[in-house]
Amino acid sequence: MKQVLRCLSREAGATHALTATLLVSTLFAGCGSVNTTYTRTTPSATAVPTKTQVNDALTQIFLSAGEVRMFPSKGGPLEVQVDVINNGFSYRGFSYRFDWVDGNGSVIPSQLSVWKTSNVPSGGSTTIRAIAPTEAATDFRLQVRRADE
Amino acid sequence: MTSHSLGTNIRSTTRMAACTWFPSLGCVAAVGMLIASGCGSPAKYVETGSPQSVVSVGDVDMQDILKASSGMLESLIETGILKTANSKPAQLVIDQVVNDTSSQFDVGELLYRMREQLVNSGQATVITTFGVNAEDKTAQEQLRAQAFRQGNAVDGMPSPDFSLSGKITQVKRQAGNTQQTTYTFRLTLTNIRSGVEAWTKTVDMTKQGTKNSVGF
Repeated sequence: MKQVLRCLSREAGATHALTATLLVSTLFAGCGSVNTTYTRTTPSATAVPTKTQVNDALTQIFLSAGEVRMFPSKGGPLEVQVDVINNGFSYRGFSYRFDWVDGNGSVIPSQLSVWKTSNVPSGGSTTIRAIAPTEAATDFRLQVRRADE
Repeated sequence: MTSHSLGTNIRSTTRMAACTWFPSLGCVAAVGMLIASGCGSPAKYVETGSPQSVVSVGDVDMQDILKASSGMLESLIETGILKTANSKPAQLVIDQVVNDTSSQFDVGELLYRMREQLVNSGQATVITTFGVNAEDKTAQEQLRAQAFRQGNAVDGMPSPDFSLSGKITQVKRQAGNTQQTTYTFRLTLTNIRSGVEAWTKTVDMTKQGTKNSVGF
């Protein structure tokens, strides 16, 4: 009888271990996470330093800004590119809006500053970009908001 | 006024008392309606195109138009095509932009936003008195008459650099209850003097879901 019980408990233990392994592997596999290959290991020549005010900690945990590049476009006004990285385990949607400011720090009202949406896969990144409305724009502000799910 | 309010209060109290002592189907329905009316959201103002807007699966929403307009403008400014025009600022004429979708909206919602940005920032001017589809027929007639009187019927008329035309299309698909619609906004700028396409841009927007919702 003791042998039977020991055998059963051993089997139960094995089942639990298997279940736990499956759960852990499912969690960390990231269900469709993307792998990214790149050759550049140093910041690009047009990379600029940034400052972020965090009001939504969850957005900061799962979505983070990578490199931010700013340079004059072919037509003259500035172009900005921001790499958005998803550190979470699921596909994430977000809304964003660029506002452009002039040399005095005043916002330039324009039809280009509208809320847009984007998605980024788990473990992957996407680049959001914007063009300044005029050559008077010297800097920008970016607002990012988690999409309603 | 005071007596009216008081009367209302009294009537309500009487009815509630009746509900307490003689619960009937009517009373239950009245209470249900009161609860239901309390659950609805009251009307409020939201910023146009903001993430609090209504999202429709099978229709073009205002935020879609704003996004398309912004994307088109960014491309126009980025390429610097308007700076290559003979006139400074470039002179544009708006040709037909066809809405080939099942969603009913005025393409002017897209075009006027673009015009506002380009004209007010001094990057382009829009000629409204050119061609058979001239927006301002009165001004066009006036210009023609004036040019005829002065004897320079050709030189007196406006001579735009570019013509803007386009089309908005849709592709609809369904899987079970889930609907998916892709709206494609495409605009083309043609050099009127050479007849060659000078700029073109496509902005896609894909929406998926089983029903309309509030917020994105």
